[in-house]
Amino acid sequence: MVARKEISIPVADPNNPYAIPAAMPSSADRNPRSFDVNDFAIPAKNQEDWRFTPIDRITEFTEIFNPAQQIRVELSMIDGSDVPESVTLRAVDKGQAPVGTVSLPNDRVSAVEWQSFKTAMHVHIAQDCKTPILIKVSSSSFDLDALHLVITTDALVHAHVVVEHEGDARLAEGVEISTGDFSQVSTTFIHEWSDTSKHVGNHRIHVGKGASLRHNVVTLGGQVVRIRMDQDFGGEQGEVNMLGIYFAEPGEHIEHRTMVVHNHPECKSRVIYKGALSGQGAHSTWVGNALIEPTAPGTDSYELNRNLILVPGAIADSEPNLEIENGNIVGAGHASSVGRFDDEELFYLMSRGIPEKEAQKLVVAGFFNELIEQIDIPAISEHLMNTVNARLER
Amino acid sequence: MSVIEIKDLHASVETNEGRKQILKGVNLTINSNETHAIMGPNGSGKSTLAYTLAGHPKYEVDSGEVLLDGVDILTMTPDERAQAGLFLAMQYPVEVPGVPMTNFLRTAKTAVDGEAPAIRQWTKDLTAAMKNLRMDPKFATRSVNEGFSGGEKKRAEVLQLELLKPKFAILDETDSGLDVDALRIVSEGVNRAKANTGLGIMMVTHYTRILKYIKPDIVHVFADGHIVETAGPELADYLEENGYDKYLPEGATESAQA
Repeated sequence: MVARKEISIPVADPNNPYAIPAAMPSSADRNPRSFDVNDFAIPAKNQEDWRFTPIDRITEFTEIFNPAQQIRVELSMIDGSDVPESVTLRAVDKGQAPVGTVSLPNDRVSAVEWQSFKTAMHVHIAQDCKTPILIKVSSSSFDLDALHLVITTDALVHAHVVVEHEGDARLAEGVEISTGDFSQVSTTFIHEWSDTSKHVGNHRIHVGKGASLRHNVVTLGGQVVRIRMDQDFGGEQGEVNMLGIYFAEPGEHIEHRTMVVHNHPECKSRVIYKGALSGQGAHSTWVGNALIEPTAPGTDSYELNRNLILVPGAIADSEPNLEIENGNIVGAGHASSVGRFDDEELFYLMSRGIPEKEAQKLVVAGFFNELIEQIDIPAISEHLMNTVNARLER
Repeated sequence: MSVIEIKDLHASVETNEGRKQILKGVNLTINSNETHAIMGPNGSGKSTLAYTLAGHPKYEVDSGEVLLDGVDILTMTPDERAQAGLFLAMQYPVEVPGVPMTNFLRTAKTAVDGEAPAIRQWTKDLTAAMKNLRMDPKFATRSVNEGFSGGEKKRAEVLQLELLKPKFAILDETDSGLDVDALRIVSEGVNRAKANTGLGIMMVTHYTRILKYIKPDIVHVFADGHIVETAGPELADYLEENGYDKYLPEGATESAQA
């Protein structure tokens, strides 16, 4: 006979999920958030946040610096039409709202950016805007520079913003995005720097209550590009769709870190990043974090990263992380892969007369097209497909 | 008038148990306007012959030659063979995610012809060919073979055959997975291509039912990696009645081979 013994299972208090000590500290408790550079250690390989990054190539961004202030920021409409009065671009001092209101820096380079920039640029959208808004960020020097860009919308606004980066740059960029309640907004960031440029960036994103934000990132070049996205929700039933496309060439390090925080009930998040890498020394990193806090029942989240190695020798690091602190959720999924061209796909296309190089181009275009198709904003998806096709022609 | 000549072709494939020879001396000549049926039991190497001719990297040619109008195609890459006028309609067409059919068809047509087709004529041809094959116009915007049913995939293969206008087509088990209506539509497409361009056809099939729709001039029985018998259409009738038992090794039955 097996001895029977009464056991008692501890029952959590739904109003105080921390009443029972959590088995593991959550990253929300562990990671410091601060404007003060000294709250963060100098990046080193043994720190979780930096283990994939070639730290020696970005040391200039780890101490407060005096920015060259050569970076140009221009506002226009994507079709060349006049910018409506409801869309404004103005310089705002560091201490003045809304600058610095969306969360806090969460690593040293982000805090350095905050301490280093002189004046922020603030784009505000007060009314619906059918035509995508274009913000052109350009630079033509490698002098160390800092840019702090803030994008805000009023409640209920429908609008699309495209931010294009191009030229030669060594840039620390901070972006704050705050969307109004029940708004529907898309922001698309295209990084098309020259091969020797460097860019470290931090997007701090706040999605309004009941609002939907599509956040697209396309990174096509740069010696080192490292961008981290930190997002949270301002209320229930918010939705965030993060989509990323990147290419890494030999000698380039392209890194994206997405952090989605579910802090309110019934919010939905999708993170889909896809990259193509070619050749020796091409390195990409995607780290996708999703944190579902005890305050977020009904969460629906999913993240995916796929990497296509075009020419052998490239390295793709892909790491999805999930922290689930609430059992009452709709879903929390993730997927990740790194692979070569599918030989059967190539043979099929070639057996129809299409030369190998062109067949590969079709497959890569298809690989990205699958994700671009999900964007139901024709002007944006067309713009992205054109950008990807132009890159494939290189 | 074109001719494809297969001479003493030997080919093998790398397997887990080492290199395995599959084609053991194939000899076959097909002229324009001729339809040859290659029939045989499962596992006899019929599909290997089809894929070897198209240049699939999995199959290695050990010896022999394949001449298309006197030019050896075995040294060519698969795209060069297609440009030379060879077409393989596959048993299992491959899905290529994210690549729209229209884009793919136009790229293929441009590669095969050496120049981009005039847009107006091309659109007209494409629309007409799709209509003939009873294909929904929406088809053109979908990704290549992705989410297509078995019948849709086969129609898409014949659509390509009609548009690319090759000199020779290899049809690998094109009848498999088709219901009677789809079989008729697909067969009509093949017959149309032959009538329009004088296409030479090598039709690989296990069953005789497609031969009711696409009439062969010559029927070959393929067993153990080579052609063991060649005759007129009446040979197909014999096979329909008696199966392939006669061509199998002593004591083996086809079900045992499959």
